[in-house]
Amino acid sequence: MLSVARCVPDKVVTNDDLAVLMETSDEWIQQRTGIKQRHYSEGDTGAADLGARAAAEALERAGVRAHDIGCIIFATLSPDYDMPSSACVLQARMGLAGMPAFDVRNQCSGFLYGLAIANAYVKNGTFDHVLLVGGEIHSTGLDLTTRGREVGVIFGDGAAAVVIGPEPDRQRGILSTHLHAEGRFAEMLWLESPGSRERPRLTEDMIAEGRIFPKMRGREVFRQAVTRFPEVIREALDAHDLTVADLDLFIPHQANQRISQMVAMGLELPEEKLFTNIERYGNTTAASIPIALSEAIEAGKVREGSLICLAAFGAGFTWGSALIRW
Amino acid sequence: MRTALLGMGHHLPPLGDAAGVKRPIAETGGTSDLARPAAEAALARAGASTDEVDFIVFATMTPDVTFPGAACFFQHKLACGTIGSLDVRAQCAGFLFGLSVADQFIRLGTYRRVLLVAAEVMSPGLEYSERGAPVARLFGDGAAAVVLGPAGGDGGLSSVVIHADGRHYDRFWCEYPSSRQHPVRMTLEDFREGRHFPFLDFETVRQFGAATLPAVIDESLAAAGVDRDRIDRFVLGHVFPDVVDQVADQMGVSAKVLNPSRQYGHLVAASLPVSLSAAVAAGEIGPGATVCLAACGAGFTWGAAVVQL
Repeated sequence: MLSVARCVPDKVVTNDDLAVLMETSDEWIQQRTGIKQRHYSEGDTGAADLGARAAAEALERAGVRAHDIGCIIFATLSPDYDMPSSACVLQARMGLAGMPAFDVRNQCSGFLYGLAIANAYVKNGTFDHVLLVGGEIHSTGLDLTTRGREVGVIFGDGAAAVVIGPEPDRQRGILSTHLHAEGRFAEMLWLESPGSRERPRLTEDMIAEGRIFPKMRGREVFRQAVTRFPEVIREALDAHDLTVADLDLFIPHQANQRISQMVAMGLELPEEKLFTNIERYGNTTAASIPIALSEAIEAGKVREGSLICLAAFGAGFTWGSALIRW
Repeated sequence: MRTALLGMGHHLPPLGDAAGVKRPIAETGGTSDLARPAAEAALARAGASTDEVDFIVFATMTPDVTFPGAACFFQHKLACGTIGSLDVRAQCAGFLFGLSVADQFIRLGTYRRVLLVAAEVMSPGLEYSERGAPVARLFGDGAAAVVLGPAGGDGGLSSVVIHADGRHYDRFWCEYPSSRQHPVRMTLEDFREGRHFPFLDFETVRQFGAATLPAVIDESLAAAGVDRDRIDRFVLGHVFPDVVDQVADQMGVSAKVLNPSRQYGHLVAASLPVSLSAAVAAGEIGPGATVCLAACGAGFTWGAAVVQL
């Protein structure tokens, strides 16, 4: 991983701001999620716009010219348009053409699924440099009334990009990735409409009934998350005969502060090795890990040789982990 | 080490009326439902059980629901435990993009058996009015699956090349729901204007396909180190079947071309593998045959692959 950069919209929305729109309170939101504020985009801004800004900075930091990108991978669940992919829109925004561009739609684990693909492309020598972006505009897809508050208060907008390139030292870089899913729980955290299983795919009723907004069974998500997170972290460590004690930093997908803390506690990971920033961004799904990674680097928590574990769990359910020797 | 196509299967729903033409139309069920029998056929032909599959790649632009992806629904229906299940969005070239990703995982040794699915249920999202008919009658519903694994001998996938040019993203697109639209990505007004239906700039899509397909076919042949005349069959996917005719004629390979859009309507990501699987099942293409697959469409995305069966 040659570089990381983030781009979040300027507008900050506090819990008190949301309490004007719905029956909720700062105390309630903080207690259950750890979130104090999130960012919302304004005007005609899409996931690809935020992603393109983050990507330009990531390329500059990596010292890689945009035209030398071999492939663009965009992880999102809130694409700019229904189709084509936000990867194509981002490619256009960056003034690029020719290299492949596609979206990965794996929700909260999207960045890790994308990382696994990017890693394979580079390790096999197919592409020298892969641009991997996680970007979301949730704010236009939330029911910000009392009816939708359980989901509405959680999500925020943001994007981050990483440049993946060759690592000559075999002991360093992305050591491995581990991906899972369990579609049995697909309807525990989902956005039903539009969808090809309905006839027709979209109706006025679906819009009026709020079926175009995500729904969540929070308790079930929590229960599965606190099981799968430690499982997939241990899977990554076991693959390299490493233990939790070897970890320098754990960056979980920022889904919920309670989940992250419970996972860290269960692993007996010291608090200073857990990185969280959900209080300022909310849950930015596919963008949350790279946003957090960029902040962790700026905070000096990532040093040369640091062993970092990234892990995610979310809608699908999908989950995964990646182990990186910085 | 190369990646081999160990088994293929496809599934087409019965023909129905699509704005005046007959197309395979799924009257019920979502994309993952259509994919299931295709995958079961592919696994049977590969002699593989679901337990052996260690990763799923699902290429579609018409998932069962907005999220999670179709791969998650499909994984559950096929009872594939907790293996990783990826959704790829690359529109008309989705199968080739999925093939590229699956090939990478197999060559790196990450996974030994990848189930690659390409499936579309377009019909519930089309506009069957007079206004929408010219677009609605282009498409069909269909699914195909391929079991991929390391090749034992010389056969298998010898090249797969993929490309995109996002500058044309609004020449073949479905604009809404759109997360760019503030404050909400889909309103009743947007719906009443029909902005959730696909739109095509026929002329631009046609010209781009005609210019791009020959170039990407030659690129894939060069990457595979195979001459054009060594190819037994070309499977060419484009929303307009006459573009495929034109490309085939120009390249002098008309006698060897399969043109899925003429046969089924455009099945988007599923076009190439449905056509190939159907030809193999009918005995038109046998083991050892060398096939070149190429597609171009929305995004714009395009690609090509050369594979020995």
